[in-house]
Amino acid sequence: MAAVTSRRITTDSAGGSDPRGPVLPPGGSGRSAETWKRHIVRQLKHRDLSQHAMFQDLIRFYTQLLEKTSLAKGILSCSLRRPSPDSSSSISALLHQNSQLKKTTGELAYQVVELQQQIKIKECVLEEQHARLAEEECRLAGAFDSHRELQERVERVQGENGALKTEYDALLERQRGAETRLREEKVRGGHLVEDMIHLKQQAAARMNSRNERRSRAREANLQKELQTAARSKVTIDSSSSAPTSRSTSPKNENQDQESTEQRHTRLFRSASATSPRILSSIRELFDRKRRGHSVCSLEEDLTCPVGICLSARVPARALHVLDAHEQGINAVRFSSSSDLLATGGTDRVIKLWEVRAGSLTHRATLDGSTEGITCIEFDPTGLRILAASYDKSALLWRLDDSVPKLTLTGHIRKVTAARFSSLPHQVVTGSADRTIRLWDLQRAACVQVVEVASYCSDLVCSENCIISGHFDSKIRVWDTRAVSCVQELPAQGKVTSLDLSADHRQLLSCCRDDCLQLVDLRRRSNDRMCFRAEGFKCGSDSTKAVISPDGCFLAAGSADGTVYVWNASTNNLETRLPDKHSSSISAVSWSLSGEYVVSVDKSRRAVLWSDI
Amino acid sequence: MVACLLCCVVDNRKVSLPLDLGVCVLGIYSLCATGGRSSMADDKDVLRDVWFGRIPTCFTLNQDEVTEREAEPYYLLLPRVSYLTLVTDKVKKHFLKVMKAEDVEEMWFEYEGTPLKWHYPIGVLFDLHASNTVLPWSITVHFKNFPDRDLLHCPSNSVIEAHFMSSIKEADALKHKSQVVNDMQKKDHKQLWMGLQNDKFDQFWAMNRKLMEYPTEEGGFRYIPFRIYQAMSDRPFIQKLFRPISPEGNAHTLGNLLKEMYPTAIPNDGEPKRYQVVIHGIEPLLETPLQWLSEHLSHPDNFLHICVIPTPTD
Repeated sequence: MAAVTSRRITTDSAGGSDPRGPVLPPGGSGRSAETWKRHIVRQLKHRDLSQHAMFQDLIRFYTQLLEKTSLAKGILSCSLRRPSPDSSSSISALLHQNSQLKKTTGELAYQVVELQQQIKIKECVLEEQHARLAEEECRLAGAFDSHRELQERVERVQGENGALKTEYDALLERQRGAETRLREEKVRGGHLVEDMIHLKQQAAARMNSRNERRSRAREANLQKELQTAARSKVTIDSSSSAPTSRSTSPKNENQDQESTEQRHTRLFRSASATSPRILSSIRELFDRKRRGHSVCSLEEDLTCPVGICLSARVPARALHVLDAHEQGINAVRFSSSSDLLATGGTDRVIKLWEVRAGSLTHRATLDGSTEGITCIEFDPTGLRILAASYDKSALLWRLDDSVPKLTLTGHIRKVTAARFSSLPHQVVTGSADRTIRLWDLQRAACVQVVEVASYCSDLVCSENCIISGHFDSKIRVWDTRAVSCVQELPAQGKVTSLDLSADHRQLLSCCRDDCLQLVDLRRRSNDRMCFRAEGFKCGSDSTKAVISPDGCFLAAGSADGTVYVWNASTNNLETRLPDKHSSSISAVSWSLSGEYVVSVDKSRRAVLWSDI
Repeated sequence: MVACLLCCVVDNRKVSLPLDLGVCVLGIYSLCATGGRSSMADDKDVLRDVWFGRIPTCFTLNQDEVTEREAEPYYLLLPRVSYLTLVTDKVKKHFLKVMKAEDVEEMWFEYEGTPLKWHYPIGVLFDLHASNTVLPWSITVHFKNFPDRDLLHCPSNSVIEAHFMSSIKEADALKHKSQVVNDMQKKDHKQLWMGLQNDKFDQFWAMNRKLMEYPTEEGGFRYIPFRIYQAMSDRPFIQKLFRPISPEGNAHTLGNLLKEMYPTAIPNDGEPKRYQVVIHGIEPLLETPLQWLSEHLSHPDNFLHICVIPTPTD
């Protein structure tokens, strides 16, 4: 037991016993604070157990029963009060009450069942509505989704549209820029055209002024001579030719002039002094030269002597080398009657040279072409020169007149060859516009246009036919009068030039594939001889090769500046003449006498060759 | 919880607690820490058991009452700490069903001829009059012939409230010179009454714990509020001033009180016990400290009601 402290007051052992609980063990010793407390706690618990817990449920149930019975009593009393206060009939009343209650119970039960059914129906309806609602919600969600999708698409399309718009704007900007540039270019083009027109006008004006000057000079000259002639005394002798022609009448002055110019025997012509054509020639004299109307007088109908070369000499060395023109030389031709040489080229003039003492001396310059010269020919008399030009025309000069007498226009492209036809007063021109035109010199008009299949590069005329060489590797022979194609000869390649021998028997064609072809025209079989040489290259589309005047040799210039000479009969290369030309030789020409060969090249050089 | 803690604290201040350890305040505190839980829990249990004590009662209508039909008795569990007129509304309703309205006057109760004073707590009445009888307690209900000389009228609950509050104030006057109760606000007083009326233990003790505090240097209340009831006596009860702590510093016990106030209750050595000292239906040991008793076994009106009844002879 615990110790007793001084502060604790001991009490007697009779701590009192609970009358209804267990008796505490009496003990004077060892009562601690916990003891009395535990005692009290125990006592309280016991008290509650016996007093409270035992009666709690009982009293509760009793109270409930009481309530129930009072309720029943209440109902009974209510119903009992009405029928009868007598207690003996209470049983029957009770029974009656019972049956009534049962009826009401049945009715109520029925009502309950009905109500339950109604509830079920309502629940079904409710479920249905719920289902419908769910469906609608699904559809709504679907609609929202599609709406969102559409919105996204709209945004995408809008974005694309925006991008397209920016592209379009950019393109518009570029287009505007391009348009302004186009306008500027057009303006500049207009200016350039104006300048060109202006320049051309200036050139034409210059030409006109020069022509005017010359005509004025001529007139002045004429006036002077007339005056001197008027003043001079003329001796009249009895010869039939001169007097009437040498009268002081100014009408005959033209004849005077003409006769002084002539070297060959033409005195017999003066018999026609009194012919009525004097008037026309006078008219011609004083008239300004009009294109297209100049009339060639009959005095120029000619039977001219035809020179024959007895033998040509193979050239061996260069006698004279000179820069003949200011620009490249395209054509060179010896006169058919003398050693007069004509060269023409890109600088638009024809220069006439004389071969004297082994050198070329410049004699005259013929201008009048507005563009480069492609081909030159002397007429059989040697008095006139026909030239074909890049300016789509052929020009005719008289040798003493630097102004062209005739200009034959009508071609559409450059005229590559112009030849005097065998018919009198006829000129044949071939052009790059695939036509061959025949011109009448008296009328200075084109009398016929022949369509050919290809670019005509060169022409030669013999008595009955015109032979043309074409770029389609064919040589066509045309009948002069009917002007229809009689024959077609094949060539090795593009034909660059043609040349007829003096006896009009051999035709030389030079082809672009570096070969010369010699064809015998008279023989039916048309043999061809092909001439090639190592190192010989045809330099351009218009390289000219020639047959020597005696028909024994062929000469051609090559692209490397060497002149090649073949022997026509042996088919061998006779000689080569190198080192004088520095560029491609464009044309060669053999003099009628056979002595000289002249070659010209694209770098304005002309070389005179001879065998001495 | 608060009351429990308070009791524990209060316990610690009492010096008469030790088991094996020395007596010093610090030791008591540490003891409280180790063994305090059981004592704390015990104190709380005590308070709860005191509050929730019930007496099974059978109310029977007086035969002389004029009834329409026979009235069944009414059984009820009466709370010990409450007052008769406060808890017998159902009884009245029950018996009024069988009575005519014109015959009903003020209800009064009586047990074996003795009118029961409603201003005594029910537990006190039971312990005093019927503690050793067979349960349930049979009370007879009267509706007429109110004994004016013996009983006070109780027209309404406000009368009970006024009586209850005056008891509390009187008790606090003894304990704290009325300082605590005067510091409380009117709503606190109301809370005390409402806690009792509605049987709310926590609501009541939230306020009542303040009335159970005391300054530490005192060691207890100034005077212990108590009333000693005797079953057969002229005077209603004994109430005197009595200090919980002796001048030497000892804590007075129940035995001290009885010896002082009612010495015949305590038997002398050798004599059989003639009287039972009952508080709340139990007999505490006489060495139970008085201060503890006042704190834990008081009625809601803060008085320690002690019944001294003759021991039943079997």
